[in-house]
Amino acid sequence: MFKQLTNLNGDEMYLITSLWIFLVFFVLVACMLFWMKKDHIDYMKDIPFDDDEKQNDQQSE
Amino acid sequence: MQLEHFNYDNKIVRNFAVATIVWGLVGMSVGLLVAVQLIWPEMNFLTQYTTFGRVRPVHTNAVIFAFVGNGIFMGVYYSMQRVLKTRMFSDVLSKIHFWGWQLIIVAAATTLPLGLTTSHEYAEMEWPIDIAIAVIWVTFGINMFGTIIKRRERHMYVAVWFYIATFVTVAVLHIVNSIQLPVGLWKSIYVYAGVQDALVQWWYGHNAVAFFLTTPYLGMMYYFLPKMANRPVYSYKLSILHFWSLIFIYIWAGPHHLLYTSLPGWVQSLGVVFSIMLIAPSWGGMVNGLLTLRGAWDKVRTEPMLKFMVVALTAYGMATFEGPMLSLKQVNAIAHFTDWIVAHVHVGALGWNGFMTFAILYYLIPKIYKTPLYSKKLANTHFWIGTLGILFYAIPMYWAAVVQGLMWKEFTPEGVLKYPNFLATTLEILPMHMMRAIGGALYLAGVIMMTYNLIKTMKAGKLVADEPAEAPAMEVVVVKEPTHRRLERKPMLFMVLALIAILIGGIVEMIPTFTISSNIPKIASVKPYTALELQGRDLYIREGCVNCHTQTIRPFRSETARYGEYSKAGEFVYDHPFLWGSKRTGPDLHRIGGKYPNKWHFDHMLDPTITSPGSIMPAYPWLIDQQLDNSMLQAKMKGMRTVGVPYSQEEIDNALADADKQAATIAKDLKDNQVTIESDREIIALIAYLQRLGTDIKAEKKTEATPSGQE
Repeated sequence: MFKQLTNLNGDEMYLITSLWIFLVFFVLVACMLFWMKKDHIDYMKDIPFDDDEKQNDQQSE
Repeated sequence: MQLEHFNYDNKIVRNFAVATIVWGLVGMSVGLLVAVQLIWPEMNFLTQYTTFGRVRPVHTNAVIFAFVGNGIFMGVYYSMQRVLKTRMFSDVLSKIHFWGWQLIIVAAATTLPLGLTTSHEYAEMEWPIDIAIAVIWVTFGINMFGTIIKRRERHMYVAVWFYIATFVTVAVLHIVNSIQLPVGLWKSIYVYAGVQDALVQWWYGHNAVAFFLTTPYLGMMYYFLPKMANRPVYSYKLSILHFWSLIFIYIWAGPHHLLYTSLPGWVQSLGVVFSIMLIAPSWGGMVNGLLTLRGAWDKVRTEPMLKFMVVALTAYGMATFEGPMLSLKQVNAIAHFTDWIVAHVHVGALGWNGFMTFAILYYLIPKIYKTPLYSKKLANTHFWIGTLGILFYAIPMYWAAVVQGLMWKEFTPEGVLKYPNFLATTLEILPMHMMRAIGGALYLAGVIMMTYNLIKTMKAGKLVADEPAEAPAMEVVVVKEPTHRRLERKPMLFMVLALIAILIGGIVEMIPTFTISSNIPKIASVKPYTALELQGRDLYIREGCVNCHTQTIRPFRSETARYGEYSKAGEFVYDHPFLWGSKRTGPDLHRIGGKYPNKWHFDHMLDPTITSPGSIMPAYPWLIDQQLDNSMLQAKMKGMRTVGVPYSQEEIDNALADADKQAATIAKDLKDNQVTIESDREIIALIAYLQRLGTDIKAEKKTEATPSGQE
């Protein structure tokens, strides 16, 4: 199956560049996520909830 | 900080909710009709407007664009206002969007049974409707971005990222897949031909699944599931990672719909590789959804909407595992063109889209009507009957697929096909088709229950059309934030980056296929269709024959023994559009030309059981009664010439005379075989087309070389 990837009639550049873009992007996002601050994560996760909903939730816990 | 007071627009949410229910009932009822037609052909009612070929696109478009489409807008309009803490940008645009979309649906439901179709799967509507779709989609986009820009919440929640990606990608897909040359009010010619048209169509078709049936629903999951469970999303980090990976990878996977065809092998392989990679981001979304329910599983026992959500996510996980498995060439060789694909699609549509839509309806109708749900018991019954419906649908279809797929490939010890008559394999799976119809009926019964439950809920409460809300005004940001945090408050930049992510795959796969001539080797003996054959081809398209018959023979011994020489890319260079199809309810027709006499085709169209006893194909008696309409013939040939078909001016000028001459020959042959018919009837043109199919290279000497993967 993968033999066909070696016969691209000179278009390997498109494929390899794309995969590199994805890989580099993926690694950058992963690094960024690793160093992301917890308070921002908590803030983003709570966006769907109104303040009163959050209070109710905390009380119920 | 001073609080600002404003209202959420619930009326538009209610309107889309009602449209979702109404079109859901219509689309699923039509689905049940087509399921029954595949058991009892009498259910085609012997009229051209209700035959399977014309009605099946009504079902698919009604469910995808009417039911799911309205469901998306319902969920987006409800959730977006709340996560952005603002009313929709413009009530007028909301209304134009709502009514425009409903008009498009009505136009599609009217024109498709009339046979006005482009034949591109899931994009069958003709060019005036395509333009209307583009206008209304842009209206939706302006309203969405206007709302994002006037928001009170500084950062865009993950749901909104998915909505942005949906908007921009669907726009790109729709435009590229709809590039046609209009030659009449309801007739257009695709600019692409053959292999290239197939690549564009399945790049569109696969990504319509990705960006119409998946990304907006993931966005809605990220809002509604935490709200229903009263728990924040399990992992915000995972949502970032799976969002960007999903939109980048999904766009590449379209070629897995064309494995073993004459599409260049390297494009097929790219489709396979990226399809396998797709498991990771897809399951990232599913896992994030299911783990959001951690600590809230007790609620699943009591809340029917959470039950629906759990099955929706499970169905999503199943479908997104099954998709990559089906794209493995070894699996695809057996499963493709069988009912497996139908089952796969319906696990996604009934389970993922349907069940999440029901969950959201059960959640938001009581909210906007400020009243409890009329009956939880009825909702629970809906859940169980719907789940049973999915099982009754999917399991017999998998069974049918394995049975039929293996029957197609079975040889006797003497080395000949064990089931050379295709019909024998069709009749073998009819009991499974009956069970499938029962599954569909159960699912529809559940939706009828839900409709009753929601109507009673609406009657018990009163719509809060303008729901009061308050939030502090958004502050001007002066601090520099890290990358993704900054991106979360820059909607236009976000859209551009999403656009880049989705364009890469399409560009890499399409540009070489379109520009490097060695990808589509020309065959000298392949000539354009004659005027009459062209007319016959349009009848083939009008009647939706492509819904049941493929026109691409794969390089397997089982297929070449059954149908003849495998299909070559160069044979389709004048096919605007390509008609390879995606399902073999009936046999492949690419080499049907010259296989049977004209009289056989006449009898077969008059009543398929004359030539094939027990056939489930509908009869087409109107083709014998109706006169062929040649009024647009020359315009069509001119259009074909514009897109690259080498018709000479002489051929165009003499088109009518040439068509008459060829028709007279066929009519005479029929007369010699005891069939008296005028030469200007539609059946003559269709016979001319069918007799031409695949004959251009029949005279050619067989080449030594065979593509990889040949059996």
